[in-house]
Amino acid sequence: MSESGPPDPLRRLGDEIDQARSRADEEGPAGRGDVTAGGNALGFGLRVGIELLAALCVGLALGWLADRYVGTRPWGLILGFFLGSAAGMMNVFRAVRGMGGGPPAGRGG
Amino acid sequence: MAEVSAPLEQFVIKPLVPLHIGSLDISYTNSALLMTVVVALIMALLVGATRGAALVPGRLQSLAELSYEFVAGMVRENVGTEGIEYFPLVFSIFMFVLFGNFIGLIPYSFTFTGQIVVTFALAIFVFLLVTVVGVIRHGLHFFTLFFPPGAPVFMAPVLVPIEIISYLSRPISLGIRLFANMMAGHTMMAVFAGFTITLGIFGFLPIAINVAMFALEMIVCALQAYVFTILTCLYLRDAIHLH
Repeated sequence: MSESGPPDPLRRLGDEIDQARSRADEEGPAGRGDVTAGGNALGFGLRVGIELLAALCVGLALGWLADRYVGTRPWGLILGFFLGSAAGMMNVFRAVRGMGGGPPAGRGG
Repeated sequence: MAEVSAPLEQFVIKPLVPLHIGSLDISYTNSALLMTVVVALIMALLVGATRGAALVPGRLQSLAELSYEFVAGMVRENVGTEGIEYFPLVFSIFMFVLFGNFIGLIPYSFTFTGQIVVTFALAIFVFLLVTVVGVIRHGLHFFTLFFPPGAPVFMAPVLVPIEIISYLSRPISLGIRLFANMMAGHTMMAVFAGFTITLGIFGFLPIAINVAMFALEMIVCALQAYVFTILTCLYLRDAIHLH
């Protein structure tokens, strides 16, 4: 009695956990997808916007610094703007591709 | 009127213990106080949960184990097995941001993750660390990260600057994303709370919206901590595996 006592509730708990896991696996991907897609269109929009803007800011800042310290005014800023926009678009492209089900970032928010 | 026009007042940093070294202001502020509280809470949770560790965990222990397993799984999936040596760092970042986000939802507390200084400092730290890890692991070979594999060589003068700008924009987007999400949510709740006062008897409408928004904010809190951590993992993977 004292020897068969402890394993029994443990085994029952193990079974319950296994059942819950298999249930979660069945529902898993769909449920998870709903949370990221439905609840966070706003968050996703914000994320894409930030990606675009951050790269543009970095491009502009580098161009401006080059103008200021190398003396290439106005070409640094102009080049920086175009390179920054390109980098921003690339960032957005990567973010969106990650959302669409690419292997690593597919589950990301 | 004063209540309505001050939804941003919640973000004001107030020095609690003024400290000055020369012209440097290192006062202990409400933000620093909340950070201390968060670190103490995390320590209490993890140390307290593992002290009386049982085979079948209680509530507190399973909370600690769940968060551990969650981050460990995230690191293993996204960085690979080599990444597990960075697990303590990633786990610390995750818990700090998560607790910081959630503690800001308690009335009269303070959201330090809504301060761009804090989020940007975290992001810059991650960025520098990832760069240093990459350079130590791969040496100069690390800089091939800036040239996409398979691209024609004559495109290099255009592609390399674009990739460098894209790389440099990482800490900015990482820091601003967390800051903007927390700040926007808290400002919105404060604005609706202000409507409650001005609308008088119809004030229950903004209250209902705020209740719904509170639920949304809780999702955002957890999600932003997750996003910050997973991006840290992805950057680490880039630094360790290159492409």
